[in-house]
This record gives sequence, structure tokens and C-alpha cells, in this order.
Amino acid sequence: MSAHDDQKVTLGSYVALAFAVVFFSGLLKSTEWYGVFDFTTLNGAFGKLLNGISTGAEGVVESTATTYRGTGGSGALDGFLFALGLVPTCMFALGMINVLEHYGALRAARKLLTPLLRPLMGVPGTVGLALIGSLQSTDVGAGMTKDLADNDELTDKEKNTFTAFQFSGGALIVNFFSSGAILFTLTDAAGQSVPGSIGLAVAIMFIFKVVGANIMRFYLNFASKKTETEAETRLEARNV
Amino acid sequence: MSKAAATEQKKMITDIFVEGARKGWAIGTSSTIPNVMMAFIIIKALTITGALDMLSSVFGPVMGVVGLPGEGAAVLMSAIMSMGGAVGVTVGLLSEGLLQARDIAILAPAIYLMGSTIQYAGRILGVIGTEARYYPVLFGICILNAFMAMFVMNILV
Repeated sequence: MSAHDDQKVTLGSYVALAFAVVFFSGLLKSTEWYGVFDFTTLNGAFGKLLNGISTGAEGVVESTATTYRGTGGSGALDGFLFALGLVPTCMFALGMINVLEHYGALRAARKLLTPLLRPLMGVPGTVGLALIGSLQSTDVGAGMTKDLADNDELTDKEKNTFTAFQFSGGALIVNFFSSGAILFTLTDAAGQSVPGSIGLAVAIMFIFKVVGANIMRFYLNFASKKTETEAETRLEARNV
Repeated sequence: MSKAAATEQKKMITDIFVEGARKGWAIGTSSTIPNVMMAFIIIKALTITGALDMLSSVFGPVMGVVGLPGEGAAVLMSAIMSMGGAVGVTVGLLSEGLLQARDIAILAPAIYLMGSTIQYAGRILGVIGTEARYYPVLFGICILNAFMAMFVMNILV
């Protein structure tokens, strides 16, 4: 992504963004036809392997099943086998992100966010592109922020507020979809699957990134007032 | 439209997906697998030495506030170093039965909100040129964000 991204935001971009929201929200998670619009449904599951056979009460043969990873493993060997099972989810998620990005989902998000930046975080709309960039790469976000500050498009306070936004949950989209999304496809020892959804986690993280920026904004307001008062006190002390 | 943009438009959707999936494979093999494997080794070491039990009893009361067992602290500590590593620790503890499905949902946003901060101090704060006196505040905000997110997730899931 360049600093001057002049690609148009079309209706298709908004459709891509809406699709992204629905696809990762888990709202359409189902075995019905509309499950085709849900990430975890399409991600599927590994097949089961026969684990053991025993003869139960009244001579009935009972069998237990397990995933390819088996049961009772531990340490590096178990870790490797488990991690191998995470790779397809990571590939699927990043493949989808690439497609959605190509069709302008992020451009649409930028367009929608730009007028909200001042009321939400007290930063100008010009950081819109840097903000979207920072969700994909910390280096892109930080580089663009430095450029904006160097060109006096951001005041010191705005720069620090925006930095707080980027620092908590850096490169959120790429980092989360390459490892965290996997967490929502797991089941625990009791067979319970992880509640919530990828979409819920992303929404929570984004909200708290904004909250964090505001904490920084209030801290900076407080700190600058304190410095002013101290300066005044010193001045008064001198005048006495 | 520039020439590069024109070729970009001509790409098939399948090609774009495969390109992304290839990135996923690269991240999976170069980051996820080594990180998760390391996390499983660390968990094994912590379990054998009894350090995990100690950790969970020390942090139990704090983590209890957000509805997590003390072992959740191990996840958050590893998150500061690496997000991928923390995911490894999480799945390791899950497969040991020390974390339940619901705990994972509570921890997931927190891992990222305070994740990789040591590394990002250089890559974000260093590059932007943040004054050193703001570093503690910024680290504090990340940790606070993580705890607020866990608090909210504990209510939501």
C-alpha cells in the first residue's frame, strides 16, 4: 500500500466489506446452504481415526475415535503435530483476506472510518490510510505516521494518540488471521467448542484499540495541563 | 489506470486466493509451527518442574477477576514476547485440559491487544520517534486494553 492510494471506492468495495463482516462474524454458521457464507463452516474439520475398541456391557463392541493427532501426546512431538493442523486454517484465512482486500474491502473501511476519526480519537481524517495500513503491517503504519508527522500534518498530541492506537494490537488483521483465528476452531477436552466468533474478537480488539488511543489522549491532556500549572506556579513564585 | 493496476484487475479470483493462501503457508511453516512447538516444550517443562502449578496459584486471584484460571497468566506473559507464541501456549494448555473452551474466547483478543509489544516498541515507537517518557504509558495502555477486553469477553461469552 502506498502513501497515496488513489484507487476508487466502488459499490463492489462496500459489498466486499459487508461480505467480510458476515463471513467472519459466525452469524451464518450452519450446515444449511447459507453456511457457505461462513468461515468456520467452510473451514470444516479433520476426519476421525479409530482409537480403540473395547467390549462393553452385554458384549456390545464399543469404539472410540480421535483426530489424526491421537491422544496422550505431549512436548515437541505433540506440539508439531498439533501445529501442523493449524496451517490449513491460516492458509484459508489469509487467502480470503487477500481476495477481500483485492475487491476493496479495506478501501471501503477507510472511506467509512475517515470522517469518524476526529470524533472517535481526535485525529484528522488524513491518517485514514495509515490506520488501514497499520492493521496490515506495523512497519507500513509506523512509516506512514512518521511521514505525516514530519510533514506537519499531525500535531505532537495527535501523533502520540495515533501511536497508542497502533501499538496495542499491532498489525491486527494479519496477526490475528494468521494465528488467532485458529483459536475459534478449537474444542476443549470436554468437547466444547470455543464460544464467540472471529468477528466478535476483531470487533472487541478494534474497540479497545480506539479506547487505548483515547486513554492516551486524556493522559496527554492531563500531562500538558500539569506542565502548564507547574510553569505558572514557578512564574508566580518568581514574581512574589 | 496505471499498467500495474491493469494487470492487477485481470487476475482471476482463484489466483488471488492462492496467493493469499501461499502467504498463509509461509506464515504457518515459518511462524506458527515453530512457535507452537516451542510453546508445547515450555509447557512440558513448566509442568514437569511444577512451575505451572506455582504460576497458576500466584496469579489465580488476579485472573479470577476476568473469569480465568491462574494458568491464563502464562498466556499473557508469553503474549508480550510473541503473539504466535502465546497462541501456542494457549492451545498447549487447552490440550492439557488446563484451559477450557470459554477461557480461549476470553484470552483471544487480549493476546493481540498486549501482544508482541517488546518487538513493536522498536518497530512502531522507534520508527515513529515516540519520546522515551511515553513508553511506560503506552505499555500500560496495552496491558489495560487486554484486561478490559477480557472483562468484556467474560461477560459476552
